[in-house]
Amino acid sequence: MSEVVLECVEVAVGYDKPVLEHVNLTAKRGEILALLGGSGCGKSTLLRTLCGLLPPLSGEVRLFGEPLYASIREARDQLLRRIGIAFQQDALFSSMSIEENVMLPLRELTKLPLPIMREMARMRLELVGLGALAHRFPAHISGGQRKRAALARASILDPELILCDEPTAGLDPVIAAEIDQTLLQFRDVLGSSIVVVSHELQSIRATADRAVMLAQGRVAATGTIAELEASREASVFQFFHARAE
Amino acid sequence: MVAAATEIERQGRTAVVRIRGDVAIPTARMLYGTLRALSRRRDVKKVVLDFGNIGRVDSAGIAVIGLMRKSLERAGKKLELDHMSERHTAALELAPPTSKPPPREEHVTYFELLGGRLLETAATVRALGRLVVDTVWQAGSVLGRRRHLPAGSVAHHTLDMGYDAVFIVGLLSFLLGMTIAFQGAVQLERFGAGVFVADMVGVSVVREFAPLMTAIVLTGRTGAAIAAELGAMRVNNEIDALTAMGVSPIRFLIVPRLAALTVVGPALTLMSAFIGIAGGVVVALGIQGTAPTTFWEHVVYRVQLSDWMQCIAKALAFSWILGITGTHLGMRAGHDAGSVGRATTRTVVVSIFLIIVVDSLFATFTAIGRHR
Repeated sequence: MSEVVLECVEVAVGYDKPVLEHVNLTAKRGEILALLGGSGCGKSTLLRTLCGLLPPLSGEVRLFGEPLYASIREARDQLLRRIGIAFQQDALFSSMSIEENVMLPLRELTKLPLPIMREMARMRLELVGLGALAHRFPAHISGGQRKRAALARASILDPELILCDEPTAGLDPVIAAEIDQTLLQFRDVLGSSIVVVSHELQSIRATADRAVMLAQGRVAATGTIAELEASREASVFQFFHARAE
Repeated sequence: MVAAATEIERQGRTAVVRIRGDVAIPTARMLYGTLRALSRRRDVKKVVLDFGNIGRVDSAGIAVIGLMRKSLERAGKKLELDHMSERHTAALELAPPTSKPPPREEHVTYFELLGGRLLETAATVRALGRLVVDTVWQAGSVLGRRRHLPAGSVAHHTLDMGYDAVFIVGLLSFLLGMTIAFQGAVQLERFGAGVFVADMVGVSVVREFAPLMTAIVLTGRTGAAIAAELGAMRVNNEIDALTAMGVSPIRFLIVPRLAALTVVGPALTLMSAFIGIAGGVVVALGIQGTAPTTFWEHVVYRVQLSDWMQCIAKALAFSWILGITGTHLGMRAGHDAGSVGRATTRTVVVSIFLIIVVDSLFATFTAIGRHR
C-alpha cells in the first residue's frame, strides 16, 4: 500500500464559523489528488489549512505522519519545508526577477553554491517554458506566465508534496494543458504527490488520480474521476454533468 | 538513502567516480566540489560517473551533472554516465537542453540616457498638467451641478484626514510655540526687549510655522496615504474598472480628496496657529510673568489681516501641492506592490520639496511687496 503523505481526520476549517466540517481525506505518495467543488465551497480555505496557514477549527491534519498543528514551530517549519505551494494569485515577489523568485527557497533553505542554484532555476524555468523570461520581473509577464513561475518556485526543492490552488484557472487551453503536463512530470519523474484545487474539468480529467468532491460544507464524495463521474449523488452529478450540458 | 561516499578510480586519463547514496540537495555541494576539482586536472580527459550505487537523483543532482557536462565540454573533456537505471534516465530528462541566454540589453550611451531622462521628465510634466486640467474640469462640472461626487465622499475624507490629525498637529504646534517663546525670551531679554516675545511668536507662527508644519504633518499622513491608496487601487485594477465603466477616476477619486484637503488644510493651519500662540502664552506667563491678555493684545496689534491671509493662502497652496502630488504618483504607480511603496515615498519627498520651494517663493514675494 502506498505511503500516506497527507491526512485529514475529522477536520473543520473556516475563519470564524466552519466552512467545511468532518473532512476526512488522504493523499498518497506519488498521486495527484484533486479537491473539487463549486465557488465558495471552501476548497481554498481547506488548502490554507493543509499548508499550515490556517489552523483547523477542530480535527487533525497530518503531514508525512506527523501532526502539522500540534507540533512546535520549528518542527512545523521542518514539515513545511517538505512541501511546495503554488497560490492562486501566484504570490511572486514583485521586487525580484523570475529567476530570483524561483531561487528564493534554495537561497533560504539550502547551502548550495550559487551556480547550482542558478542551474536548478534555469532547468525548472525551462521545464515550465519560461527559460527566456528568467530576468524579467513579475509585472512584465502575463498572468499565465506568472502562474507557471509560481509552479516552478513551488517545485524547486523537489518537494514530496505540492499544493496547487487553481493552477490552470483563467488560462487558455494550450497553456492549461502544458501546466497539466508539468504536474504529471512532477508526479512521474520527481515522485511528488500533488494536491490540486480546481474546478477545471478538463485539467482534472487529464491529471487527477483521485478526487475529493466538496459540497454543502462537507466531503460529498471521494474516488477516481471515473467513479465520481458515475456518481448519482446530487452535488457530484451536478458538478460533472450540469457543466457538460 | 543519503550519499555516504564518493570513490574515484583512475584508469589512465579517465577518472571513474562512484557514488554511493542519493545525489540530492544535501549532497550536491560535495559532489559539485569533487567533480569541479576533477574537471580542472590536466591529466584527466574523461570523467565517468558510475550510477550503479546511486539512489535518488533530485533536481540539485541533475543541475550538478548538467553544470559539469558543460564545464568539461568547455575544457575539451568528456563526461560519461554509466550504469544508469530507467529512473535515473527519467530524472535526467528533466534537464532541458541548454537554451540560448536571453539577449543582453543594448549598451546605452550617456546622451541617450540623458535624452531618455528628459523625455521621461517631459512626459511626467505633461501627465501632471493633464491631471491638473482634468481635476479643474471635473471640479467645475461638479460645482456646476452637471456631475456629482460619490455620496458622502468629501465628508468621509474630511473626517479621515482632519479629525485624526488634530491631536498630532495640536501637540506639535503647542510645543513649537513654546520653543519659539523660550528662544525669543532668552535672546530678547538680553536687549531689554522681552516684551516683544508675543510679537515674535505671533508673526512667526502665523506667517511661517503653522502652515509649514501642518503641511509637513499632512504630507506624512495624508499625502502618503493618498498615494498608497490610489497605488493599491491601480494594482487591483480598480482604476481601470472605473475607466472601463465610463466613470471618471478623477471625479470619483481625486476631486473628493482635493475638496477635503481644501477644507482640512486651512482649518488645521488656523488651529495650529492659535495653539502655537497658546504655547507662547504659557511660556511668557511662566518665565516673564506676562499676562495672557497682554500677550494676546500684542499678537493682535502685530499680526495683521494680511498675515492671516498669507497663512490661509499658504495652507491652501500646500494642501493642493501634497494632494496633487499624492494623486499623481499614486495614479501612475505600476501594477506591482513595490511600485506602491515607491509612489508613497516619492510623494513625501517631492511634496516636502515643493512645499519648501513654494514657501520660499511666498517669503520672497512678500518681502518684495513690503519693500515697495
